[in-house]
Amino acid sequence: MKKYLPWLGLVARLTLGGTLIVAGYLKFDELDKSQMAVRAYELLPIPLANFMGVFLPFFELAVGILLVLGAATRIAAFVSGLLMFAFIIGISQAWARGLSIDCGCFGGGGQVAPGEADYLTPLLRDTGLTLLAIYLTLFPHTKFGLDKKPKSVTEQGEGNNG
Amino acid sequence: MAKQQPGKDNFTRNIVIAVVVGVLLIMLVPTLLSKQTDTSAKVPASVSADRGYGIVFNEELTGVPVIEIYEDFQCPVCAQFEQLQGDYIESLITAKKATVVYHTLSFLGPESVNAANAAACSADEGKFLGYHRALYANQPAENTGVWSNDVLGILGQAAGITSKSFTSCVNNMNYEGWVSNAAAAGAKANVNSTPTVFINGKEINRQNEYFNADKFKAAVERG
Repeated sequence: MKKYLPWLGLVARLTLGGTLIVAGYLKFDELDKSQMAVRAYELLPIPLANFMGVFLPFFELAVGILLVLGAATRIAAFVSGLLMFAFIIGISQAWARGLSIDCGCFGGGGQVAPGEADYLTPLLRDTGLTLLAIYLTLFPHTKFGLDKKPKSVTEQGEGNNG
Repeated sequence: MAKQQPGKDNFTRNIVIAVVVGVLLIMLVPTLLSKQTDTSAKVPASVSADRGYGIVFNEELTGVPVIEIYEDFQCPVCAQFEQLQGDYIESLITAKKATVVYHTLSFLGPESVNAANAAACSADEGKFLGYHRALYANQPAENTGVWSNDVLGILGQAAGITSKSFTSCVNNMNYEGWVSNAAAAGAKANVNSTPTVFINGKEINRQNEYFNADKFKAAVERG
């Protein structure tokens, strides 16, 4: 079983990192809309929400790239776990308060017509991604990563995949 | 194997981390700065910086409702709103019964920026309302490349704008800085969809007052 864990980690890394890269990239071109998406959660003060709207896409891209490359995996996974957790809180509170917003997870965002909001899909997705992030934080040593394998975990016959 | 070259491996990894984080930080800073209001940007006629860089009609009136409209020329729902309420709002302007502020946002993409810039140019010609109407009457699907500056220049004719200064203003994107300022002001005003209408600083009811002519009228008269 232990032999397969690094492969499982690789899948987790690529899924989590890939999702973050796509999410960041799609927001990148439409930062006004990204700001709008964050404001629509009515959670942060407006100036902070506007800052986060610009900051988040860059942050998601950076963390996503690091995860895909397997560089600083543990930190990147931990940080993206926190991020997903924050998203879950944001979406849940929007749902609970009956706001009508697009989650803006992959670009878009802002208010939508009453009844058109879908909160369950992003919540399930972010929960899954949080689990991947937790797994990677606990077991950050994966196949084909840039991170150096600590001696204690070095397995027989495996080189370091640089 | 791993023991022989740990230094090298860590070096590569650290460089990669530094490059990824560094490059994105370097890109983030100018982007954040570009979202700041540029007070030196050229401003078209009848624009008030105090009113969030909106294009203002009947600024001088007192004791009348102030109607603020946040819109994006590419937004289909804004076109519906214009179709339903446009004549009424224009009649309020002509009859001097309201102060009306048009905030042209541009979050839907580059062609929204083009259109907002062209609308600002039409304000300089004193033909903003006509051009506003012409834009919505000829609204293409979002970001299909239809609203190039050439097309937006020609569209001026629909509003009776024939001057060379208009086409050069459109083509040179004279008011790009202003468009960005208007967008930043919309962000500060917490406008999260278009159209958004404030009457005397308060948003009208999204459930029923936008697309019902009578209820909209009642909301205006209530003030």
